[in-house]
Amino acid sequence: MDKGLLAYLLIPLLSAVIIPFAARNRPRLADILANVTLLAGLVNLGWLVLRPSVVRGDFADIPGDGFALLLVGAIYLVALCVTFFSAWFMEEGQPNRAAYYSLILASVSAMTGVVTTTDFFTLYVFIEVLAVTSFALITTDDSRGGIEGALKYFFLTFPASALIIAGISILLIVLGDLQFETLRIFMASDVPPGPAVFAAALIMLGFLIKAGVVPFHAWTPDAYQGAYAPVSAHLAGIVTKISGVYAIVKLGTLLRFFDGRASALSEMVMFLGLLSIAVGALAALRQKDFKRMLAFSSISQVGYIVLAAGLGTPLAVIGAVFHLFNHATFKTVLFLNSASVEKSAGTTDMEKLGGLEHSMPWTSWTSVIALLSTAGVPPLSGFWSKLLIILALWEAGLRGYAGLALLFSIVTLAYFMIMQRKVFFGRKSQAAESAPEVSAPLLAPAVLMSAVIVALGLLFPYFYTYVKMVAERIIL
Amino acid sequence: MNLILIPIVLPIAAALALLLICEKTKYIKELLAAGAAIVSLLAAANIFLQPPADLTLRWFGSAAFTLHADNLSAFLLLAVSLFSAAISVYSFSNPAKGPAKWFFFNLLMTQGFAAGAALADNMVAMLFFWEGLLVFLYTFIALSQNNHAARRTAMKAFLINGVTDLCLLVGITITAYIAGTASMSEIARNKLTLEYGWAVFAYVLLMIGAVSKAGAFPFHTWIPDAATDSSATFMAYVPAAIDKLLGIYFLARASVYLFALNQTMSLVLMTLGAVTILVAVMMAFVQKDYKRLLSYHAVSQTGYMILGIGTLNPIGIAGGLFHMINHATYKSCLFMTSGAVERQAGTTDLSKLGGLFRAMPVTGICFLIAAAAISGIAPLNGFFSKELVYKGALDTGYTVFFIAAEIGSFLTLASFLKLGHSVYFGDRPENLKETKEAPFSMLLPMLTLAGICLAFGFGAELPLNWLIVPSLAGMSIPNPTMSGFHLDKLYFVSVIVILAAVINHLIGLAAGGGKADKASDHIHYAPVLKETYALAERRAFDIYELGMDKAVPFVSRLLFKADRFFDWAIDALPSGVAGFLGGSVNRFHNGSYPLYMALTLIGAVVYILLAGGLK
Amino acid sequence: MTYHNLLFTLAVLFALWAVMAKKLLTSAIMLALVSVTVSLIFFNLGAPWAGVFELSVCAGLITVLFIGAVSLIRSTEEKHPESRAPFYALPLAAAIFAIAGWFYLPAFFDELASWRRLADGSGTIGAALWDLRRPDLLGQVLMLAAGVFVIKSVFPRRTEK
Repeated sequence: MDKGLLAYLLIPLLSAVIIPFAARNRPRLADILANVTLLAGLVNLGWLVLRPSVVRGDFADIPGDGFALLLVGAIYLVALCVTFFSAWFMEEGQPNRAAYYSLILASVSAMTGVVTTTDFFTLYVFIEVLAVTSFALITTDDSRGGIEGALKYFFLTFPASALIIAGISILLIVLGDLQFETLRIFMASDVPPGPAVFAAALIMLGFLIKAGVVPFHAWTPDAYQGAYAPVSAHLAGIVTKISGVYAIVKLGTLLRFFDGRASALSEMVMFLGLLSIAVGALAALRQKDFKRMLAFSSISQVGYIVLAAGLGTPLAVIGAVFHLFNHATFKTVLFLNSASVEKSAGTTDMEKLGGLEHSMPWTSWTSVIALLSTAGVPPLSGFWSKLLIILALWEAGLRGYAGLALLFSIVTLAYFMIMQRKVFFGRKSQAAESAPEVSAPLLAPAVLMSAVIVALGLLFPYFYTYVKMVAERIIL
Repeated sequence: MNLILIPIVLPIAAALALLLICEKTKYIKELLAAGAAIVSLLAAANIFLQPPADLTLRWFGSAAFTLHADNLSAFLLLAVSLFSAAISVYSFSNPAKGPAKWFFFNLLMTQGFAAGAALADNMVAMLFFWEGLLVFLYTFIALSQNNHAARRTAMKAFLINGVTDLCLLVGITITAYIAGTASMSEIARNKLTLEYGWAVFAYVLLMIGAVSKAGAFPFHTWIPDAATDSSATFMAYVPAAIDKLLGIYFLARASVYLFALNQTMSLVLMTLGAVTILVAVMMAFVQKDYKRLLSYHAVSQTGYMILGIGTLNPIGIAGGLFHMINHATYKSCLFMTSGAVERQAGTTDLSKLGGLFRAMPVTGICFLIAAAAISGIAPLNGFFSKELVYKGALDTGYTVFFIAAEIGSFLTLASFLKLGHSVYFGDRPENLKETKEAPFSMLLPMLTLAGICLAFGFGAELPLNWLIVPSLAGMSIPNPTMSGFHLDKLYFVSVIVILAAVINHLIGLAAGGGKADKASDHIHYAPVLKETYALAERRAFDIYELGMDKAVPFVSRLLFKADRFFDWAIDALPSGVAGFLGGSVNRFHNGSYPLYMALTLIGAVVYILLAGGLK
Repeated sequence: MTYHNLLFTLAVLFALWAVMAKKLLTSAIMLALVSVTVSLIFFNLGAPWAGVFELSVCAGLITVLFIGAVSLIRSTEEKHPESRAPFYALPLAAAIFAIAGWFYLPAFFDELASWRRLADGSGTIGAALWDLRRPDLLGQVLMLAAGVFVIKSVFPRRTEK
């Protein structure tokens, strides 16, 4: 456990426990407490990272490998956006307001635990906590879609938990203990890695299921679509990343895929990644509902990360890490905006929406920025991360994979163009006529995230050095 | 500023300024045009007498855009400017020229670009001006009359010249590539020889470009159409003078200056010349329209020039060049007379004209002089240039060309006898009783040009020594002995030809029942010739018409089919495939839990087997 | 040995019965019995603490919760009993799986046992899991807190309505 980041785990937990007591008489206090906690954490993190020495490129002060720090930053940022949005989005009479915020803080705590742990079993425990909080969060507004989504999520991911435990137990037999370092050292040595790789493959499979990679992806559209609106953003923005994709990337680096010792597993992971890219992109083409389309797009983008993680070369890891972070930002914006649209226009059916740009300009433009970044349009951040991934593939000699990844990037662009035109531009539909722009506080998180997207894109060189350091440290 | 730029820049600037002037003003346009032309003429004369320094503009570091006034170029520039000035004065009062603003615009632009083409030393620069002329050729014809026929002919002229200009472009590119430079003066220092394939190909392309501009067979078919569909002033300027000047100028440059031709190529050129002479004059002979008849003759005379240059000996080349300037002079004068007649009598149909000599004496005299010149009657200029060409042709040893040229002369004279008789002599029709002489602005240029015909004839040494010989010297051709009036067998042959032509005319008159315009009918309706003429009138031999009617639609249909295929492959196919795949995936995700679970379990099993089996 | 196998067979039987039962109450009780058998297996394998926790939490607390929840919906359940027909094939599937496993799995487990020799031999699994894992406490605390919050999130709606 990374002692330096322990505080980031404990403080949200503390707040989560306090909130129900504090908010018994004054419900609004729950909102304030949640937001303040997360904001404090983020500010502290910013102070830690944005010192002049770090900006200059001197990374000695960054604890551990910078990956954990980067992800903690992402977690806090997304969670802050979600809580801020929820504070204004939730109806007055919502009965479980306090519980909602407690759950979010608990999930933040769990996620921080996931990214800072150095042990497989602890990882498993925190993942389970995260899953439990997610089930409850999805059903916050008691809608039928929410319950269905939560149940599907649960039922389709419990095999994942079973597989992870099976893998952990075999790993324990082979290695003797469950530290990450042990696995890394074992893989770097000359001992034939067969059994350990098999165990790791089982664990990997569990996490692939949790990440929503094809063919285990079927729960994602229903879960995202049916969940309570800000929760979709929380889920898609950070929870599936941390609960699934993070572990895949980490495991990929531990298994030293680039060394070629676990080549069969590496190829399988890459294949599944490419399959996700393809199926996600193709399915998104024909969707009629905004949220569902975003869900399939998520599957596709997660595919990119998994593809790069499966490749395992340093450049690919850089690409995967960066794309992970970027995707968190895009999806947060998009889902929060879809919540705004739903609140304002009453529907997320793309056939019924149209010309929203006139009545909801801020929402439209932040969505457009996020969509363009997802599609990989320069100079936004998504372009750089996709470029790194494709370059890594090409450099490793996998021309076919690189070509297909590029091709599906174009398909992504295509369906986003269709979607933008349908929903935001074009003639005003009836729904759009009566859709006023949502209030400023609801827009603030989306605007903040869009600014982050643009800034990351434009200031990529600075960010690149940081990500490169992360990649070096976690590989070596 | 270098004087050499004036003949190019001034007309172009004046043309652009002309566009700004309102259509309704009375004389400003004409005066501006005439003024610009005359000033350019003075500048050209200055350049000719005192050759200025070369003007070089560097472009992209290596390419040099050079204007170089060597003797031939200066000579040509003088000629171009002279004719421009003459035509601009002539067209003061010619109503048939179309809107005055556009006419003068085209005139001045053509003058500027032609001057540029004459002066350019770099082949690419010359090509630029040459191709620019193409645009103004189109606009000149299209804007001269406001009807469909004018536009159609303009398109025909544009396409024929456009295709051959393309050949010229390719030829110049290959030549520049072989020689390593695009500067003509540099290539001339080591002339290219026709040893290997690419050089031959380049020369042929250059030749095609040059002769097409000059209006040789088979690129001539637009000229007779232009005669009917555009104005006489246009005809007097472009096909008569400018085109010939530039075309033969470049042919001379290509054949003598840039390349050293061999016997085969010389034969090709001479054959082309001879065929042009004969085919065109056969067609000219049977025409019933004043301007059309003249236009066919213009084509025919080009053949003499090509023949002359094709002989590749100094006398022949001198003859070709001299014929070039002579032809420009008398043909321009002839077209001017046709314009005058058209203005005064209202028609150019030979059957409706007659006996105009009394009413338009000055025009008639100019016609007579020019007609005598074109027929090669001593001591006018045409005689001397034709004689040089004959001598050159004989010197090559192939007598057949000489015979062809003489037959051409015979028919030329015969057709002009017919023309002159039917327009100026004979009975005057009723409706033309009140016809008056043409206005002074039209007579002045005519007289000037007729005067030049006489001067170049009687004092033939002058142009030869001042214009032709220096030009030849500029191209490093030894000075031939010529000029003067030789009482040798060539002279006798020409006298015989004249007599034969007169006799033929009388026969024709008798056969046609005294009507002059029917004087050619006895040949027109002769057994084999009748069918041939009928086909020619139906444009069966016109390659342009053949191409447009048959080849072009076929090719364009083919290309359309190919385009539809590519469109389908790029557009319809991918979106169809993507839509199908997307739809299938979409239908698959129907929310059914058992299906999803099954998928998950099967995926997990396959994965585990692969992971376990391949460990 | 046979006691061991008997416990495993009983656990499987109770699990199958829990899936195939018509009434939810029967399923809940069968789940409790599965937990009891599994805890007995733990005792047999020499993990007393695991057995104790399994018995108290799974067979005790959770069964109480299940029975409480089932009793709450008993009225609606009696009106619309669910059909369990598709699951009658389950014993057959389990039998096939057991026979296939009897052929193939022993080899797998032998190999699994052989891997054990690759490890350093740094103590038993029990030592690795229970003695060296202080940080897990944090995880447990978090899990408890999350559970409480989940209940608070899901249940209050009932009282409001």
